[in-house]
Amino acid sequence: MSDYTLSLLVRIGIESFVALSAYVLLLMGRISFGQQGFFVIGGYAAGMATALFGAPLPLGLAVGVAAAAVAGCIFATCMRRARGLYFAAGSLAFAELIRVALLAFHYRVPVGRDLVGPAGADGFRGIRALFTGGASVGGYVIGIYVTLGLTLLLITLALRSRWGEALRMIGEDEIAAATTGIPLTHVKTAVVTVASGLAGLGGGLFAHFATYLEPGHADVMLGVHSLAYGLIGGLGTPLGSVLGAALDIGGLESFRFLSGFRMIIFGGLVVLFLIVRPRGLLDEVTIQRLRAAVRRRRRESRA
Amino acid sequence: MAPLLQIQLQAVVDGLMLGATYSLLGLGFTLIFGVFRRLNLAFGPTILVGIYAGSLWYRAQPGSLLLVVAITLLGTLLAGIYVERCSFRALARQAPVVSMISTFAVSMQLQELVTLLPVGRTMPYPAPAWLPGVEVGDVMLRPDGLFMWAGATLLMAALFLLLYRTRLGTTLRAVADSPEAATLMGVDVARIGVIAFVLASLVGGAAGILIMSSQQQVTPYFGLWATVKGLTVMLLGGAGSLSGAVAGGIVLGVVESEALWSFGGQWRDLAAYALLFAAAAASRGRVTGEPE
Repeated sequence: MSDYTLSLLVRIGIESFVALSAYVLLLMGRISFGQQGFFVIGGYAAGMATALFGAPLPLGLAVGVAAAAVAGCIFATCMRRARGLYFAAGSLAFAELIRVALLAFHYRVPVGRDLVGPAGADGFRGIRALFTGGASVGGYVIGIYVTLGLTLLLITLALRSRWGEALRMIGEDEIAAATTGIPLTHVKTAVVTVASGLAGLGGGLFAHFATYLEPGHADVMLGVHSLAYGLIGGLGTPLGSVLGAALDIGGLESFRFLSGFRMIIFGGLVVLFLIVRPRGLLDEVTIQRLRAAVRRRRRESRA
Repeated sequence: MAPLLQIQLQAVVDGLMLGATYSLLGLGFTLIFGVFRRLNLAFGPTILVGIYAGSLWYRAQPGSLLLVVAITLLGTLLAGIYVERCSFRALARQAPVVSMISTFAVSMQLQELVTLLPVGRTMPYPAPAWLPGVEVGDVMLRPDGLFMWAGATLLMAALFLLLYRTRLGTTLRAVADSPEAATLMGVDVARIGVIAFVLASLVGGAAGILIMSSQQQVTPYFGLWATVKGLTVMLLGGAGSLSGAVAGGIVLGVVESEALWSFGGQWRDLAAYALLFAAAAASRGRVTGEPE
């Protein structure tokens, strides 16, 4: 595969993590415009762990997840009463505050002959743990997708558990959920924390692939796009977020020949698509039909 | 007068003048949100289209300022109607979040549309250079600031008269209050939706003109910027309240101006986002009338 295809695959894989984090929140009835904030926190923390303190890559990624999760927990505590539009706006404000704070964040230490570390608006260069560790790009792509597969499996299992049930109930009707004895604040805080960790994992993976991060990576476009991925791919299954990321990123890339008109045509396609399939490709009805078809097939083969 | 006090006073005065246009943006945003209970992320980009159209005309015919204003408003209006058709009417029966993502797709379209114009990335916009600056004591009232403030205040007065003193305004507020009850009273809710978009586009376009007459150049980033300002002002004012939006705009303007004068340019956006974050964290329960 060419470098171009590989980098496209990496982008789809990494943005899928951010899309999944937005998807989980959406199931809980929370629209987030701010997952890009946790993405860069994860990226910066993971990058600092490996590049500045010599941590091995897996440990660095874990540090990134932990940092993003802690930030998510703080954010959830601040927003424990905010709902609807206020949660969405609060997440946007949080991510923008992170971005502005990173513009002023300088922490450079000598590593070998160079000064390495976050340098405000100039960004954070030299996150080389992946390539000094001798890994190939192809191997990294496989690693990303294995991690993504495991994450999808875990999310699917979690959504079938009592926690997943509680999360969906909160998404449907918060007051009714509270009357059935669901500890609202605990579940909400836990879900936001986990979702932030997911976005942070994406950030860590991205930082080590790009070897470079800057405050601009916390652009609000990433957050809104990752919401759109879930909606385009379908809200019936976590797989929809990955499918949406692949469709959106792949589609936009294949429209490159349109140059200046690309966004106009592609934006128009998204508008039309949402009119035709407002709950995405893999919506709840489609998923139920697929399940029923699989069950029927099994029954027939047994008979 | 003590220099510090003078600076503070100047900051507040500047903030009030800036805040008046923020109030207008917030009112436009609130009109759409109030009637539809849906977020219009393309609100700023529709204004952007109008401003580019007006600016393009200004380049060709620098003489006729009234025509520049008319074309700006017309451009905003057309773009606004396009948003209404694509993202609101066609998706009326879907979840609000679907409309929101659709408006995001439209806003990408609109932002790309203006970069296609053969005019480079920044555009000139006419300024009220004929107005004199006024000095009251040690406080300087900049002519463009005065123009912004006076224009925005007049427009707001007109809008409030329309909304609170006419039959149309009453109908519009009835729909915002409860679309179901309004339907039972025989109101054509879809038509009121279009009117809300027309009003919001005119108000937003006017806010764009006033802001541009002060800044005198526009980049494609204006679109998202205006959306975020409109959203912030609306939420500061309590999401759906018209007088709240006016107050929210003034608060945002003064806070930004204070941050700018006291700490420097970088702090302006920081202060605005900190204010939005605080408002979100302090919010209690549901947004007025928002279906849960």
